[in-house]
Amino acid sequence: MSAPVILTLMSACFLAFGYLGVPVPFALLGGVFIGATLADVSHASIVQKMFDGVDNEALLAIPFFLLVGELMSSANVVVRIVNLSMALAGHIRGGLSQVVTVFSMFFSEMSGSTTADVAVMSRALGGPMKKEGYEPPFIAAIIASASTIAALVPPSITAVVYGAVGNVSIAGLFMAGFVPGMMIGFGLMIYCYFFGPVGFRRPKPTFLGVATAAYQAALPLMIPVILLGGILTGWFTPTEAGVVAACWILFVIIPALNPKHIKNLPYDFCLAGLIFSLPLITIGAANAFGYLLAYLRGAIVISEFITSIAGTDPHLIMLLMVLLFTIVGDFIEPVPTIIIFMPLVNALTTAGHINPVHMGVVLIATLAFGLITPPYGLVLLMASKFVGVRFSQALRAALPIYAVFLITIVFIIFFPEVVLWIPKQVLPQSVGCFHNPSGAGFICPNG
Amino acid sequence: MGIADKLVLQRQRHLKWKALDPLECLLMMVGGALLFGFSLSVVCDIVTRIIGSPWLWLQEVTSTLFIYAIFIGAATATRRNDHLYLTAFAEAMHGKPRVIAELTIRVIVLGVAAALIYFGYLNFLRGFGSFRLPSNTPIASLYAAIPISGVLIFLFTVEQIVNGCRNGFDHPEFDNTPDSGVFGATRPDGTPQ
Repeated sequence: MSAPVILTLMSACFLAFGYLGVPVPFALLGGVFIGATLADVSHASIVQKMFDGVDNEALLAIPFFLLVGELMSSANVVVRIVNLSMALAGHIRGGLSQVVTVFSMFFSEMSGSTTADVAVMSRALGGPMKKEGYEPPFIAAIIASASTIAALVPPSITAVVYGAVGNVSIAGLFMAGFVPGMMIGFGLMIYCYFFGPVGFRRPKPTFLGVATAAYQAALPLMIPVILLGGILTGWFTPTEAGVVAACWILFVIIPALNPKHIKNLPYDFCLAGLIFSLPLITIGAANAFGYLLAYLRGAIVISEFITSIAGTDPHLIMLLMVLLFTIVGDFIEPVPTIIIFMPLVNALTTAGHINPVHMGVVLIATLAFGLITPPYGLVLLMASKFVGVRFSQALRAALPIYAVFLITIVFIIFFPEVVLWIPKQVLPQSVGCFHNPSGAGFICPNG
Repeated sequence: MGIADKLVLQRQRHLKWKALDPLECLLMMVGGALLFGFSLSVVCDIVTRIIGSPWLWLQEVTSTLFIYAIFIGAATATRRNDHLYLTAFAEAMHGKPRVIAELTIRVIVLGVAAALIYFGYLNFLRGFGSFRLPSNTPIASLYAAIPISGVLIFLFTVEQIVNGCRNGFDHPEFDNTPDSGVFGATRPDGTPQ
């Protein structure tokens, strides 16, 4: 049987199993085992590839970032960040919808997980928004859209996976993700200001009010400082920064702000121990799928098709890639997508002479957009369930918000110098710069 | 409610045997202990490195605990139906089509679990020929996690098939909360995490 037929069958089996209701890792492995049988590839090597997919030190960061999010959420420390967001944005036209976005910009820098964000925001702000008269479809749409910021800004788990699998600097991806992350955040605020419901506008807080809210949220707000500070100073790897942040919560935040929660910590660990295994086993299965895809030259065929249209024009290559991954992201989650298609992404990065960090940020932003598009916009699905509204209604409310994402994606494709500006300033080596052998400073590719 | 009670998910009770509840509870505890263990080993790794006398074996301990936590967690999530899902057309069905779809799903999972057991065991045996540094422990000690996970997934899937055939898959469910938490886990009281 020819490779394209096997590839088609393998992919069809995965999608058929997945949409029937087979859990994603088993659907992936089911498709791979069928593909391996037809392609005469050893099944033991498939199991080995699954193991190799998770036996990666960089992925150790994921449980720690998820533990940070879980502890912050379960210890109810997030209420202090909600209060700070309220003080900063509650008086702006749009009221709580502005607060949702500001809160997400803060909380995303602690959890790194879109799904953690959507769960926390729905619980903390979904109810109050309903009470203030916001339409439930709009609540679901704005919460889901704001939570996608977590996929871009540090400590984004999607960026960790991309960096670990693609051998790209995770710190560089973190830094470069700031621009699209903030663009989406401020874009959502502008959208809510001009096109969203007016909402209930609170009186403009005094400086003292904002300062008090900031003081009360100071301990949780140290988490992004620890994460970024540790990574940027070279003291910690992203993994170590994650564990230090978890220690900060365990030994400082919870005893200081919610000491009654200490007795619940064993339960939090048990739950976090389960939660982190879910994306990781999917990563293992996706690695096996990606291996067979590469073995059957699937990535080469697709990349040759794209380069036959786009040549070596990096903008056109990235636009076609965005188109492809918008479609793929509508059906598959970002993490397995990255792992399965990494050989293709690498081939396109080389063909277009694109900076790998730039390529990573564009891909992650595209996949973050896929989290709120049909038919499988995971965070929009979650938000609509939490808020108690039909997915189709939430989808209609989210449609105008797509403009914010599309503008951001097109901007980051055409202005790589803006995206890479922060990593070039703080971590030049992460974007391919090297020490100037004849003097101070760095020499960077493309200026 | 004690921690042990809270650790056994009451959702989809009709698909579970009471006798396997202690196993779910134990696996949840093991998962928590493994997470705590490798968190501690990473902390020790940082501390020993900072004080200038790094313990190299800590990285082996970390990766061992990490790998076991993933595969044990994957098995536990099978019993709790906490895995990632693309969607579940089956849940929208009723009557006989629902039974057929649910059985098909679980037969596929059984097939994958059987493959994990058999081919994972073959890899485990081959793993005695490679060694991890610096301890020279056979890499089979890591590979063992795969067939163990496969056996547990197989057991929990058989449990669901038997109970589903007996009690029906299409059961009135008290839990109408979304797949919450980080990737689909819900708290036992049904509230999002």
